[in-house]
Amino acid sequence: MKDKLSVGTSPHLHKDESVSRIMWLVVLSLAPAGIAGVLIFGLSALRVIILGVVSAVFSEGIIQLLTKKRITVLDGSAFLTGLLLAYNLPAHVPFWLPIVGSLFAVAIGKQVFGGLGQNIFNPALVGRVFLMASWPKYMTSFTRPMNYDAITCATPLAALKEGRAFENLSSWDLFLGLRGGCIGEVCILALLLGALFLFYKKYISWHIPLTYIATVGLFTYIFGQQGLFSGDWLLHVLTGGLILGAFFMATDYVTSPLTYKGQVIFGIGCGLLTAIIRLWGGYPEGVSYAILMMNAAAPIIDRFTKNRVYGKR
Amino acid sequence: MSASQFLTIFISAVFIYNVILSRFLGLCSFVAISKETKPALSMSLAVMFVTTMSSIITWFIYRFLLIPFDLTYLRTISFILVIATFVQFVEMVVRKTNPAMYRLFGIYLPLITVNCAVMGVAVLNSDMFFINGRALPGSFWYSAFQGVCAGLGYALAMLLMSGIRERLDLCNIPESLKDFPLAFIIASIMSLSFLGFNGFKF
Amino acid sequence: MKKFFNEFLRGIAKENPTFVLVLGLCPTLAVSVSVINGIGMGIAATFVLLGSNIIVAVIKNSIPQRIRIPCYIVVIATFVTVTEMLMKAYSPALDRSLGIYVPLIVVNCMVLGRAEAYASKNTVMNSFFDGLGMGVGFTLALILISGIREALGAGTILGHRLFASFEPAFILGMPSGALLVIGLLLGFFNVLKGRKA
Repeated sequence: MKDKLSVGTSPHLHKDESVSRIMWLVVLSLAPAGIAGVLIFGLSALRVIILGVVSAVFSEGIIQLLTKKRITVLDGSAFLTGLLLAYNLPAHVPFWLPIVGSLFAVAIGKQVFGGLGQNIFNPALVGRVFLMASWPKYMTSFTRPMNYDAITCATPLAALKEGRAFENLSSWDLFLGLRGGCIGEVCILALLLGALFLFYKKYISWHIPLTYIATVGLFTYIFGQQGLFSGDWLLHVLTGGLILGAFFMATDYVTSPLTYKGQVIFGIGCGLLTAIIRLWGGYPEGVSYAILMMNAAAPIIDRFTKNRVYGKR
Repeated sequence: MSASQFLTIFISAVFIYNVILSRFLGLCSFVAISKETKPALSMSLAVMFVTTMSSIITWFIYRFLLIPFDLTYLRTISFILVIATFVQFVEMVVRKTNPAMYRLFGIYLPLITVNCAVMGVAVLNSDMFFINGRALPGSFWYSAFQGVCAGLGYALAMLLMSGIRERLDLCNIPESLKDFPLAFIIASIMSLSFLGFNGFKF
Repeated sequence: MKKFFNEFLRGIAKENPTFVLVLGLCPTLAVSVSVINGIGMGIAATFVLLGSNIIVAVIKNSIPQRIRIPCYIVVIATFVTVTEMLMKAYSPALDRSLGIYVPLIVVNCMVLGRAEAYASKNTVMNSFFDGLGMGVGFTLALILISGIREALGAGTILGHRLFASFEPAFILGMPSGALLVIGLLLGFFNVLKGRKA
């Protein structure tokens, strides 16, 4: 998108794209992952998704009403924020958790900066780390897949962190999403379908997702538990929120660098931070923290990777 | 004294207990000077230099003056005087010998005299690396290194914040949140994201 | 008398050190986890502020202009040391929970700021009431912030449980929550100010 600003001779054809259209198509590309999540975790997952989305849209509308701004709840951005937040929650959380999270995401993550296109941090992730810091016990109890009662189980990454073997999941299980985890992050297949669609529509470029995932894979392979170059990199790539984060959250236009060079730095930074938190941090998963930290760094990265203006020193 | 100890000090001083975002030291200068990247960087350089040097100096004072003569209750007053004198002295030297450097970061030195970050790190060092009036083995290196890392943490928060605030110039932020309030909210989100390093064990 | 009262009131509302002058935030944010800590820090800072304001106002004519700041710092540091020792002796628990932020009152811009901006130019009585007003204003701000943080972050006020079913948001007890509360409060006071103007 952004790198396509080009100067050319007439005739200039205008492509019929608007922010709102892109937002809704991103929502569409996330649909398979949501459907997979509901199939895997049951109707309570659907409840969380609906609560998250509805309260995000409502929060946006109410804040815009109170601050006397134009009401733009139908541009899809609040919908997307609520959806991504819900995808980052476990399936069996109390009903108020997605509501509070969405309110925080929209208010503090987005509206205090002036609304759409001006936020520094990814709003959904702001909501998620807020919930994680506030009510950790709900955010870290995951339910067993394909078993619609609320039987808890550990995520593969949490099991790895505690040093025990998790219940014999094959890579194929992980790929299909048959594991404990957040609603939208488990089914890699569905996420990749959505990501392919975004690539096909050229809404995202390969720079951030590829460098991000490759860095995590390489780093976790090098620093394995049984010495150098012994890590289970495939497990690290297929579990946690890496795929969801790399394709759908780190690539957010507003909060990532503008140039390709900056995006590569951004992706590598996200990857390093994620891997460091996973391997040595206190939390089993670091995707959301890593992306937020790099969001904070994005303006600085932009500043130092800006294309030179011709003739300017 | 081992490499992992130093790494732990590094991670905790830069990220987990970041001087600004977690210990709130140097907050005034953080919100006041982080509007643009260049002054923010100069200020960070000055703070880094002063935290390092004052960590070293106060270690000597604490170890060889206050403890042997049983004067630890004079810690606050002696530290602040030594730091203030040192900063004044450096300012004078820099101004006389190197005007270019003075313009770059010397003008920020007077502000640092009463910067809580410098004093805070000195007090923290004497709390962390001395137990019951005895210096821990390697405490000198730990103190000096913690001084460097606290400065680095300050510089990191400053750099990120100034980049963000430069970008915010282009945004239509709600009138009542402009400047200070928004700066604090951004700092809050940064502090949230640094929580990711909590419980770091190498 | 009315004049003194005005000096006193100014620190509480119109020139509140925390919300209007935005001074001395380090201790405000760091210790406001619980109301009791907030009150303790408020009293300690008020004591230092009163003492330094009075002494600075007394000696203002006898110190040379060029070294006035170091002199103020010595005065302030003396009162901070006294506070530290009193607190260690009479309230060790509070001393432990306030930690390094008691010695750090010495670099609190609010105290030095009042000495330089007010006490060095005014009479002893005026400086006394200015210090008292600023101190009380600071304490009230601390009580407000720590009240919000303790109620929402721990579900208690002064250690008493508020609602049985309320699940506190731990974040407000963390540094990030402190920054958030102060940011939103400053914004809120800006809104109030804007409405009045």
